[in-house]
Amino acid sequence: MLNENDLCIYYDIDSSPGIKAKGKFVSNSFAYLDDDSVIDQLLQFRSAGQMNATFSLPQMHCSSCIYLLENLHRINAGITKSQAHFERKEVFVSFNPTVISLRKMVELLAFIGYEPAISLNDAGPKQKNNFNHRKIAELGVAGFCFSNIMMLSFPEYFSGGEIEQQGLKETFSWIIFVLSLPVLFFGARSIFVAAGKGLRQGIVNIDAPIALAIIITFARSYYEIISGTGSGYLDSGTGIIFFMLIGRWFQHKTYDALSFDRQYKSYFPLGVTVLRDCKEENIPATTLQNGEIIVIRNEEMIPADARIIAGEAFIDYSFVSGEDAPVARKTGDLVFAGGKQKGGAIQLKLVKAPSQSYITQLWNNDIFSKTKNKEQSFIHPWSRYFTAILLSIALLAACYWAFTDASKILPVVTAVLIVACPCSLLLSATFTFGNMLRIFGKNKLYLKNASVIEALAKVQHIVFDKTGTITQTGQALVNFRGDALSAQEETWVRSAAMQSAHTLSTSLATYLHKDNFTTAAPLQHFKEVAGQGLVADIEGARVTLGAASFANAAATTAPKTSSRVHVNINENYKGFYEIGNHYRQGIHELARQLQQGPYQLHVLSGDNDAERQNLFKIFGTQTPLRFKVSPADKLSYIKALQQQKGGVLMAGDGLNDAGALMQADVGIAVSDDAARFSPACDAIMDGAALGKLAAFISYAKAGRQIVMASFALSILYNVVGLSFAVQAKLSPLVAAILMPASSISIVLLVSLLTSVLAKRKNL
Amino acid sequence: MQVEKFYYDNRIVKNFAYATILWGVVGMLVGLYAALQLVFPSLNVTQYGTFGRLRPLHTNAVIFAFVGNGIFMGVYYSLQRLLKARMYSDLLSKIHFWGWQLIIVAAAITLPLGLTNGAEYAELIWPIDIAITVIWVVFGWNMFATIIKRREKHLYVAIWFYIATLVTVAVLHIVRSIELPYSWLHSYTWYAGVQDALVQWWYGHNAVAFFLTTPYLGLMYYFLPKAANRPVYSYRLSIIHFWSLIFLYIWAGPHHLLYTALPNWAQSLGIVFSIMLIFPSWGGMINGLLTLRGAWDRVRDDVVLKFMVVAVTAYGMATFEGPMLSLKNVSAIAHYTDWIVAHVHVGALGWNGMLTFGVIYWLIPRIFSTPLYSKKLAANHFWLGTLGIIFYAVPLYWAGFTQSSMWKEFTESGQLKYAFLETVTYMKPFYAMRSLGGTLYLIGACLMVYNVYKTAKAGKLVADEAAEAAPMIKEEARHKGEHWHRWIERKPMQMMILALVVILIGGAIEIIPTFLVQSNVPTISSVKPYTPLELQGRDIYVREGCYTCHSQMIRPFRSETERYGEYSKAGEFVYDHPFQWGSKRTGPDLARSGTGNLKKSDGWHFRHFREPSSMSEGSIMPPYAFMLTQELDTSSTAAKINAMRTLGVPYADGFELTANEHLLQQATGIVNNLKADSIRISPTKEVIALIAYIQRMGTDISKQKNN
Amino acid sequence: MSALFILIGISLMVAASFLAAFIWSVGNGQYDDDYTPSVRMLFDNEPKEAGSEKKS
Repeated sequence: MLNENDLCIYYDIDSSPGIKAKGKFVSNSFAYLDDDSVIDQLLQFRSAGQMNATFSLPQMHCSSCIYLLENLHRINAGITKSQAHFERKEVFVSFNPTVISLRKMVELLAFIGYEPAISLNDAGPKQKNNFNHRKIAELGVAGFCFSNIMMLSFPEYFSGGEIEQQGLKETFSWIIFVLSLPVLFFGARSIFVAAGKGLRQGIVNIDAPIALAIIITFARSYYEIISGTGSGYLDSGTGIIFFMLIGRWFQHKTYDALSFDRQYKSYFPLGVTVLRDCKEENIPATTLQNGEIIVIRNEEMIPADARIIAGEAFIDYSFVSGEDAPVARKTGDLVFAGGKQKGGAIQLKLVKAPSQSYITQLWNNDIFSKTKNKEQSFIHPWSRYFTAILLSIALLAACYWAFTDASKILPVVTAVLIVACPCSLLLSATFTFGNMLRIFGKNKLYLKNASVIEALAKVQHIVFDKTGTITQTGQALVNFRGDALSAQEETWVRSAAMQSAHTLSTSLATYLHKDNFTTAAPLQHFKEVAGQGLVADIEGARVTLGAASFANAAATTAPKTSSRVHVNINENYKGFYEIGNHYRQGIHELARQLQQGPYQLHVLSGDNDAERQNLFKIFGTQTPLRFKVSPADKLSYIKALQQQKGGVLMAGDGLNDAGALMQADVGIAVSDDAARFSPACDAIMDGAALGKLAAFISYAKAGRQIVMASFALSILYNVVGLSFAVQAKLSPLVAAILMPASSISIVLLVSLLTSVLAKRKNL
Repeated sequence: MQVEKFYYDNRIVKNFAYATILWGVVGMLVGLYAALQLVFPSLNVTQYGTFGRLRPLHTNAVIFAFVGNGIFMGVYYSLQRLLKARMYSDLLSKIHFWGWQLIIVAAAITLPLGLTNGAEYAELIWPIDIAITVIWVVFGWNMFATIIKRREKHLYVAIWFYIATLVTVAVLHIVRSIELPYSWLHSYTWYAGVQDALVQWWYGHNAVAFFLTTPYLGLMYYFLPKAANRPVYSYRLSIIHFWSLIFLYIWAGPHHLLYTALPNWAQSLGIVFSIMLIFPSWGGMINGLLTLRGAWDRVRDDVVLKFMVVAVTAYGMATFEGPMLSLKNVSAIAHYTDWIVAHVHVGALGWNGMLTFGVIYWLIPRIFSTPLYSKKLAANHFWLGTLGIIFYAVPLYWAGFTQSSMWKEFTESGQLKYAFLETVTYMKPFYAMRSLGGTLYLIGACLMVYNVYKTAKAGKLVADEAAEAAPMIKEEARHKGEHWHRWIERKPMQMMILALVVILIGGAIEIIPTFLVQSNVPTISSVKPYTPLELQGRDIYVREGCYTCHSQMIRPFRSETERYGEYSKAGEFVYDHPFQWGSKRTGPDLARSGTGNLKKSDGWHFRHFREPSSMSEGSIMPPYAFMLTQELDTSSTAAKINAMRTLGVPYADGFELTANEHLLQQATGIVNNLKADSIRISPTKEVIALIAYIQRMGTDISKQKNN
Repeated sequence: MSALFILIGISLMVAASFLAAFIWSVGNGQYDDDYTPSVRMLFDNEPKEAGSEKKS
C-alpha cells in the first residue's frame, strides 16, 4: 500500500511510482475477467483497439492516489488515459486491449494497491447520476434571473416609484417580465410537480400552497405589467423560488463515495470458476445454473447454496449469520451462499441458483422491492392547516371589501395569497435539516437524506446487532488461563497463530503482538486441520493450538463463556486462551444513557449465546436478548416491534442484518470503514461514533423544535405582511423587503441554532 | 486512441514576459516622473512632457502594457497546460504579440502628441481603437480554437475567468469606443454629457473589473496552487465565485458618479451593487489565502508565495475599500482627492504588480529550465515593493483625507477657511513622500530586470516543452444511446435561452433609436451649443488632458457651491462630446470658471497660461507658454461642426461655411480685451480659443436666470 | 439617458450569454467532479523519458 511506503504526499512521488509500490493478489483470482461476457458487462465502451471502464477503488484517499492513478499510462503503454474521480473514489481508464487485457488492467491496479471492488452489482447497466445537472441548472437560472430582476427593480424603489426618464420604467418592467419566464417555467417546475403529485394522491403537501402563491404572484404581476398598472411582485416571486432552490440544494448533501442502496449483489463475485468437462472455465455469476460444479479458493465467496464434493471447507459465515468463528464442513455437507472459504480450494455442486439461495431469498421479501415508504415530513400536515387558515383569511378580507370597496377585492385577495406563501416554513426545514446533515456527517454519521432526521427524532425502540455492531471485529479480548507461558513460548504461539487465517488465530496473534515485539520465529513444519486446530514445529518445539480435544486438554468445569484456544507445547498441555468479544468503547455509557431516555433496547445476535453474561452486564436484565437469530427472523422481529408505538432504529453491520435495516424506520449500518461495504440502509455510521448515538437522537429531536421555532418567526412575518395585504396596502416594495428579510433571518436563525445545539450536545 | 506527444509553446510566454517587464518599468518610470512633476512643476518640459499628457501615458502603459502583457503571459502559459494542448496557431500567437506591442508603441507616440479621446482609460484615438479590436479578436480566436482542440475535458476555473475577460473586455471596448471620426486622428465620442459619463464609468469600472481583476483572479487560481503545490482551498467555492461574479459584475459602474448630475436612483443602484460585490470578491480572496493554510512556513521561505500573499491581501483590502468608497458619505469626502489615487494604487501596485512579479519569478526559471539567479535579490525586490506600496499609499490616504477636510472647512463667520491654492501647497510634502514610495517600487522592479536577465542567461529557453496526454474522449462514445435522449431533454432550455437573447436584442434595437432622438432635445433652453472658437478651445482642453487635474462637476454641498458656484445640472452637458467631468481635483473645479466669484479676466488667464505661478504663488500647474505662439488649426473647424451636427448638436445648416468667420470675430473680441490689459497677441493663437472656452463654462445657466 | 438603454441591453446580453455558458457547462458534466480537477492541475504532463530530468 502506498501510504505504508510514506508516499502520501504527491510531490514525493517520483515519476515511475508503480515500480516501488508492492501489492498482493492471488494470481488467478481475477481469471473471470477473461470471460467475454463478463468483460462486456464491465465496459462502457468497447472496440477492437479501445476499451473504456470505470472502477471503484475504495482505497483512494489522498492526492498522491490521484497522481498515481492518472499516470497509469507511464506504467503500461497499453493504457492511454486514466482519470480519477476522488469523491466517488472511482477511476476511469481507457486502454488498448491488444496490449493490456481487462484482467491485466485490474491486476495492475491491484498490484499498485488499488484492488477494484468488482461485484455482481457491476453487471448490467449502470445508472448515471445526471439528476443533479438539472437541479444545478435550475438553481443557476433562477439565481441569474432573480439577481438581475432585483437589479432592475431597485431604480423603482430608490426613486420612490417615480422615474423621470420616459419609457425607462416600462422597459424595465418588460425586461423583468421576460427574465421571470425561465424562473416560472424552468426553475419552479419541481415545486409544481411536487404539488401536483400530492394533489393527485389527495394530499395537500407543503408544495401546494407554495405553488398557489407562485401562480398568483406571477399572474398578478403579469397582469399589472401587461395592463401597465404596476410593476408587479416579480422580484419577490423569483427571489422566493431562488431561495427555495438553494434550500433544496443545501439539503441535498450527498456522500459520493458511500452507497446506501447496496444489495447482496454488491458482495457477490462477478465471476465464478466452473468445472466443465474437467476444465476450469470462468463465467459470470449471473449465468450460474443449478447443478453446476464450481471451484472456490481461499478467501472467495460462495455464490449460491451448494454441496461440497471435494476438499476441506472451512467457512466463515460472519457476514451472513453474525457467527464469529468459522465452521468446518466435510464433503457432502451443505454450504450456504455468502460464506467465505478459508483454506485450500474446494469444489462445490450448486443446489440452488444464486438468486434463490438462503441468504439472497431475503431480498425476495417485499420490503426490498418497494421504495421505503417514509412517512411524510411533519411540515406537510401543517401545511394543510396553513392552507385552510390562509384561504379563510382571504375569504374574510374579500367579504369585508365587498361591502366597502368592491374594486379592491381582487387586489386584496391576491395580495393575501402572495404574502402568505409558506415558503419560509419550507426554507426553515430545508436549511435546518441541511445543516444538521452536515453536522451529523462531521461526527461520522452519514445520513442518506434529510427525512432520516425526522425518522430518527421519533425513535423509541433501538435494536442492536451484536457481532460487528456493538463488538469490534478484529479486536478481541484475550485472557490466558493455565500455566504461565515463557516469553519464548509466547513467541512460538504467536508465530504459529500468525500462519493461520482462522479468526481466533488472528485475534490471538494480534493480541500477543501487542506485548511481545520479538520477531516471529521461522516454522519448520506447519499443518492446519480445518475446524480443529493447527500444529507447527518451531525451533525444535512442537506447538499445538486448537480445540480442547485437538490439544489434549484436561477436562474443565468452568462454564464456557467465550471461545477458547487450547495450547499444547511439546505434548504438554499449557492451558487456554479465552477469546471474548471486544465491545466498542463507550457502549456501556451509551446503554446507560439510552435506558435513561424513553427508549427500549433490544439485542439480536446471529451468534451463539456465549456472550450472554457480558451482554447482561452492559444492557441489564431488562433488555431482551436474542441469539441465533436468522436474517429473516431479524426482519420479522423489527416488523413486530413496529406494531407498537414509536419508531424502530436498527443498528447492524452485516448482510444478515440487511432485511432488518431495510424494515426499520431508521436502519443504521455500522462500519469501521465507511467507504467499504455496508448493506442497504438509511445511514452509515463509523463504528467509533456508535457511542454518540444517544446524542444523535436527541439532536434530531431538537431539530424538529428548531423548525417549529423558526416557523413561529415566519408566522410573525406573515402576520405583518397580511396586515398590509388585507388593507390593500401591499406595495411591491413592502413585499420586496419582507421576502428577503424573512428568508434571510430564518436561514440565519436556523443555521445558528443548529450549530449552537450541536455544540451543546458535544457533536 | 493513443497517448499523444506534443509541445507547449514557451517562446510566446517568454516574449510576453519580457514585454511585461519592459513596459512595466517604462510605465512606472513615467508614473514616477509625473508624480515628481507635482512636486517640482519645472519638470514640465515642452508641450509633449506636461503632466496632462504624461498621466494618460502612465495609466495606459501600466494598465494595457504592463498588466495587459502580464495577462497574456499568464494566459499563454497556463491555458496550454490546463488544456493539455499547444496554442492553436503559432502565427496567431505571434500576430497577437507583435500587434499588441505595436499598439503600445502607437499609444506611447500619440499620447504625448496630444492625440486623445479625452476619456479616462480610453484615451487612445480611433485608429488604435480599431487595432485593439482586431488584435483582441485574434487573441480570442486563438484561445477558443485551443479550447476546442483541448485534451482535458474539464475547463479549470481559471479558464472561465479568461473567457469572461475576453468576452466582456471586447464588449466594453466596443461600446466605449463608438465615436465619430472627423479626421484620420480625431473623433468625437457618440454620447454626450451625462450619457457619456454613464458609458464612461460603466466602462471605467468594468475595465477595472474585467481587465485588472477577472484575468488576475484566473492567474491567481492557477499560479497560487502551482507555486504552493497544493490544491486551491475549495474548488467548489471557486466555481460559485466565478458564476456569481459573472452573472452580476457587469452592472457595476454608476457609483463613480455619486453626487453628480446622474439621477439619484442610478446612483443608489450603484451603491447597492458595490456593497454586494464584497461577497464574491472576498470569496476569491479567502479561497486564495486559505489555500496556504498549514503552509505558512513555506511562505516564509518562498519568495514567490510572499509576492502572492501580499497580492491577495492587497486585493482583499482594495475590494473592501471600494464598496466603502461607494457609500455616499464616504464618497463625499474621498471623491476628487488623492485618497482615490491611493486606493487605486493599492490595487494596482499590490494586487496586479505583486502578483505579476510572483508569476514572473515562478515562470522564468521554469521556461529557462534553470533555478532563479538570485533568491536574495528577489527577496529584496519583495521588501522594496512592499515598502514602496506603504510609502506610496499611507501619505496619500492621509493627504487625501486632510485636503478634503480643508476644502470643507468654514470659519465661524461662514466663510471658506482655505483658498484652494493653500490646499495645493499643503499637499507638496505628501506628493514628495509618495514619489519616494514609487521610487522604491521602481528600484525593486529594476532588481527583477537584472535577476531575470541573469537567469535567462544562465539557462536556455525550452522553446517547445514536451508533454504527453491522451486526446479528449468524445461524450457520444461513452453514453451511447442515452446521449440523444439527454440532449433532447435539454433542448427546451437551450431554446429558451436563445429566445431570451433574441428578445433582448430585438428589444434593444427597437428601443435605442427612439430614445437616442428623444434625449437629444436639450432640457435647459438657455443651454446653447459652443461657438466655433469655444469648440476649438474645448478640444485643446481635451488635448492637454486638463481633466486629469480639473473637474467640471460641482456637487451639491455647501462647501462646493460656496467655492465654485451653483451645483451642476444634467442639462448643462448635452453638447459635451466627450464629457469632461474629471475624477480628480489637483486644481480647482472649472465648471463655472466663466461666471460668478471665480471668474477671472482674459488677461489673468493669458498670464496664468504663460506662467501659472506668476498669478498663483505656489501653483503646480504646468506652464502653457507654447500656446501663446502656436497657431490654432482653423482648417478643421468645418469638419468639427459637421461632426457635431451629426451627433445631434443643433448647428444651423451651412453654419460650417461661416464658422471660421464667426471664430475670428470672437477671437478678435478677446484680443481687444487683452489689448486693454496691455497684452498684444494675434487672434489665431491657441491660447485665445482656450480662454474663450474657459470663459464660456457655466455661463448658460446664469443667462437663464438673467432672463 | 438613452445610453442607459444601450448599457442595460448590452449588459443583459453579455450576462445572458454567460448564463448559456453556465447551462452548457452543467449539462456537459463540467461540475460532476468538483474536487479532482483542482488536484489534477498541479501535475505536469512531462513525457516518460523526460520525466526524471527535472523537478524543481
